[in-house]
Amino acid sequence: MASFGAQGQLFSPPLTPSLRPRRRLASSTPILKAGSSTPANTIKCDLSSSSSSSQNPESLTPKKPFFSLAQALAFSAGAAGILLRFSPVTPLVDSGDFSGGGGVGGTGDGGGGGGGGGDGGFWSRIFSPAAVAKDEESQEWDSHGLPANIVVQLNKLSGFKKYKISEILFYDRRRGSVVGTEDSFFEMVTIRPGGIYNKAQLQKELENLATCGMFEKVDLEGKTNPDGTVGVTISFLESTWQSADKFRCINVGLMPQTKPIEMDADMTDKEKMEYFRNQEKDYKRRIDKSRPCLLPMPVYREILQMLRDQGKVSARLLQKIRDRVQKWYHDEGYACAQVVNFGNLNTREVVCEVVEGDITQLVIQFQDKLGNVVEGNTQLPVVRRELPKQLRQGHVFNIEAGKQALRNINSLALFSNIEVNPRPDEKNEGGIIVEIKLKELEQKTAEVSSEWSIVPGRGGRPTLASIQPGGTVSFEHRNIKGLNRSILGSVTTSNFLNPQDDLAFKLEYVHPYLDGVYNARNRTLRASCFNSRKLSPVFTGGPGVDEVPPIWVDRAGIKANITENFTRQSKFTYGLVMEEITTRDESSHISPNGQRVLPSGGISADGPPTTLSGTGIDRMAFAQANITRDNTKFVNGAIVGERNVFQVDQGLGVGSNFPFFNRHQLTLTRFIQLKQVEEGAGKPPPPVLVLHGHYGGCVGDLPSYDAFALGGPYSVRGYNMGELGAARNILEVAAELRIPVRNTHVYAFAEHGNDLGSSKDVKGNPTEVYRRMGYGSSYGVGAKLGLVRAEYAVDHNSGTGAVFFRFGERF
Amino acid sequence: MAYQLIREWTGIQQFPLATRTKLIELLGKLKQENVNTLTILVMGKGGVGKSSTVNSILGERAVTVNAFQSEGPRPVMVSRSQAGFTLNIIDTPGLVEGGYVNDQAVEIIKRFLLDKTIDVLLYVDRLDVYRTDNLDKQVVKAITDSFGKQIWRRGVVVLTHGQLSPPDGLNYEDFFSRRSEALMRVIRLGAGIRKQDLQDFAIPVIPVENSGRCNKNETDEKILPNGTAWIPNLVKTIIDLVSNGSNAILVDKKLIEGPNPNKRGKFLIPLIVAFQYLVVKQIQRTIKDDIKKEPKAPWELRSANLKF
Repeated sequence: MASFGAQGQLFSPPLTPSLRPRRRLASSTPILKAGSSTPANTIKCDLSSSSSSSQNPESLTPKKPFFSLAQALAFSAGAAGILLRFSPVTPLVDSGDFSGGGGVGGTGDGGGGGGGGGDGGFWSRIFSPAAVAKDEESQEWDSHGLPANIVVQLNKLSGFKKYKISEILFYDRRRGSVVGTEDSFFEMVTIRPGGIYNKAQLQKELENLATCGMFEKVDLEGKTNPDGTVGVTISFLESTWQSADKFRCINVGLMPQTKPIEMDADMTDKEKMEYFRNQEKDYKRRIDKSRPCLLPMPVYREILQMLRDQGKVSARLLQKIRDRVQKWYHDEGYACAQVVNFGNLNTREVVCEVVEGDITQLVIQFQDKLGNVVEGNTQLPVVRRELPKQLRQGHVFNIEAGKQALRNINSLALFSNIEVNPRPDEKNEGGIIVEIKLKELEQKTAEVSSEWSIVPGRGGRPTLASIQPGGTVSFEHRNIKGLNRSILGSVTTSNFLNPQDDLAFKLEYVHPYLDGVYNARNRTLRASCFNSRKLSPVFTGGPGVDEVPPIWVDRAGIKANITENFTRQSKFTYGLVMEEITTRDESSHISPNGQRVLPSGGISADGPPTTLSGTGIDRMAFAQANITRDNTKFVNGAIVGERNVFQVDQGLGVGSNFPFFNRHQLTLTRFIQLKQVEEGAGKPPPPVLVLHGHYGGCVGDLPSYDAFALGGPYSVRGYNMGELGAARNILEVAAELRIPVRNTHVYAFAEHGNDLGSSKDVKGNPTEVYRRMGYGSSYGVGAKLGLVRAEYAVDHNSGTGAVFFRFGERF
Repeated sequence: MAYQLIREWTGIQQFPLATRTKLIELLGKLKQENVNTLTILVMGKGGVGKSSTVNSILGERAVTVNAFQSEGPRPVMVSRSQAGFTLNIIDTPGLVEGGYVNDQAVEIIKRFLLDKTIDVLLYVDRLDVYRTDNLDKQVVKAITDSFGKQIWRRGVVVLTHGQLSPPDGLNYEDFFSRRSEALMRVIRLGAGIRKQDLQDFAIPVIPVENSGRCNKNETDEKILPNGTAWIPNLVKTIIDLVSNGSNAILVDKKLIEGPNPNKRGKFLIPLIVAFQYLVVKQIQRTIKDDIKKEPKAPWELRSANLKF
């Protein structure tokens, strides 16, 4: 129905003045200004406008954007209820024109067809037909009470009866034929076959058609049917104007309405001439004042071609032009753009007036759980900085910008529900107010989760006695001061009965917007204290060496770093770490040396030293920097692009034995798309070749727990963690070819890891002590099954293969 | 193992008087140079007579000798004192196992020797073997790798089974010199001694005969076919070597584990950090370029030039 407004303005004054006597606004000015206060201003974004749009086929409101949005949401939002919604649009009207509440499609005055009366009648027509039809459908309709198969003029119908319309025919007098329902004129009629209308409604309908400017002449006749229903024939003569060879598109959004001057019926010819001239001048001025359109040259040219091909400018052609222009806008995401008027008809230039949907205001609202507007805890700049500037005041509303705002706000993880909602500005015609409605998440949360774990007992078998209660206690205080600062802490143990065995804790403070919330630079400070316990891959046996007694590496310390995000994926982190490292054997005793199994079967604790200090406990402070450059993106679900990571740990000479070292790693990964594919949902992903290289090196003090381990699912597949060795410098190279199959992929890979002869440069040479090769290759094939990778990898050192199941991605 | 009981050298009494006199004289000479202890490391392939040689020198069955079973897997140090002078002899297990140098044996020996000073290395092989092969070289190399090249300046090659009748009527002296020459070549190769350094590494070769059927001369000293009494000869050679000006080898952690890799290149770290700083800067620049080059949707560009 919104689109109706667009057609409403379309008329050629000289031809139609007589048809619009009632409408004050629809004056017979030659400058086509008349319609400016008509529904033209309804904004097109009432996509979800409920019942009326579903029943009203003439609504041009494209549903597509709405659906595609829903998809985008599913993508980005995950569990949170997030919605970019196009609310039902309240029609924009001049105060005098429309008094109804008009919330949804003008249901306010839906009850009575003529009830609106006066100028409002037109409105009610436009916005309520569906509602009217619905309301009255249940009621009885009256038989026409006339003999069947006679033609009745509209004015002959009884004003007290409710007629049921059986069918509606459009009769083109110029062509002398009935036009089909596919004709563009059909969408202008609001009455529906099967609907029930009284005379006044039908009269209004005719009036609308007459005043819309599309027709030179239009009549409505009824034809009585034997069953008491009435068939309606609308016969019309299409308006035409002189041919034009120029086309111009102007943005009339936010322009003040020009109030047409009342034209006296008894003007003299001279006065009339004067009047028309004035109108023309006014219109020129209006064009000059208007802003240029976003419409690009190619579309201009296309429309010019249409004008040239057509010769005479007809109402149908104007409709086509309107559709073309609106299609471009909507395809580009300008969902609120709308052609409101065609001006300057009967000159050589067709002027297309467009309301593009300029944003006049950006409102950020917080809602409580019940949807009431509340004062939020979050400070507005925090939200505002996530919005693309295209959503700010003065820009044309674009649905893509809205989606991006949605994604960005969602990534703050502060809100349970996000709505980005453009709505027409009632004070500024053609303006859009972008409303962002946010429901905040609970600021403080605490959680206890427990689990029973069956841990391996003697010989690796799960034993009943070893079932232990474990779990996590965590708390989080989010969005402190409304600036997205947070404190979170958690304690995890696998055995609550004996938590000292393994107690993992973490306490972290996150402080975003280090440079101020108004500063575009996005740096986040994180400070945490932590501990962790890991099995050292350094003290692992090579092939054939069984049961190297394991060494656990416990780390506890504090860490502070600053992360600067350049893009969503590329970032730079630098900070300080101070930690205490304790190495323990199986029975949790501190062990300064690795153990080894003697040929006699005994165990001697004179293996490679585990720590730098030689005591089993090291303390050290070092600076850490990590820069990630990540250009990867998804092409139909396959990752393509490149990712480089460079990391440096620089010892500061503070700690046990004054550790001074420089440990550096460079990882280069390329995801090369091997075939160009069409992008889009449901399209198959391209085959991808992954090339990967990883260099790690260390100069200076290198305790064994910091040595680079070779082998493992993230190093050289087909080997156990550290099975190839632990070295000072390592080089790993890998290649993987991924071939899409259905909606997953299979892959083949080859990998090699090498210690570059630096195993002997690790104190105690753990690689040699545990009889490891120091290098190794593997190759294999695999398939991705959901989150799990199933792969068969052949270990090149021994030439045997094995099947592995792993979670997550290798690269 | 750490604490070694030092016993009186009673075995010296077992020697014939002539030998005893010479030995005491030699040791006295050492004492005059303020050397109170002498540590001798005996190494070699398995079954060549290392332990027997030790026993012969000490004049007692200090270490067990078994004709078929190779000696124990662990090194043994025997210490004997005589008039304030201590003689330590370290007998080691054979280095060869299954045709290869046994790394683990080398490792055990090294650990055993930790913090000990080696004055003399006796490299033991048999005189009555006619050829040398790659394995000999490997053994020499293993010793060199463990204790460094310098140990050969304190090295003595001991050829056991010295009492043999050379084949095919070869002169004993001839045979001996050819055998020692062949062995020296192997040692030179294995230890990586260059030709120009040969004078520094003048390794004496001493034949010995541990058998009880060893010929004796008129003063009851054990003699070799060429008539030398070998025990005083060996001890004399050892003592000469000790006083030849070269340094004794102190087996410390560094020697065992090689140069400390943690120390290497440490002074370069500031340079490396400076370089890494540049790398990070470069990557940052690349990221900025990436952001600029990132393809933008038409609406993003279009709105940029929209004015109000």
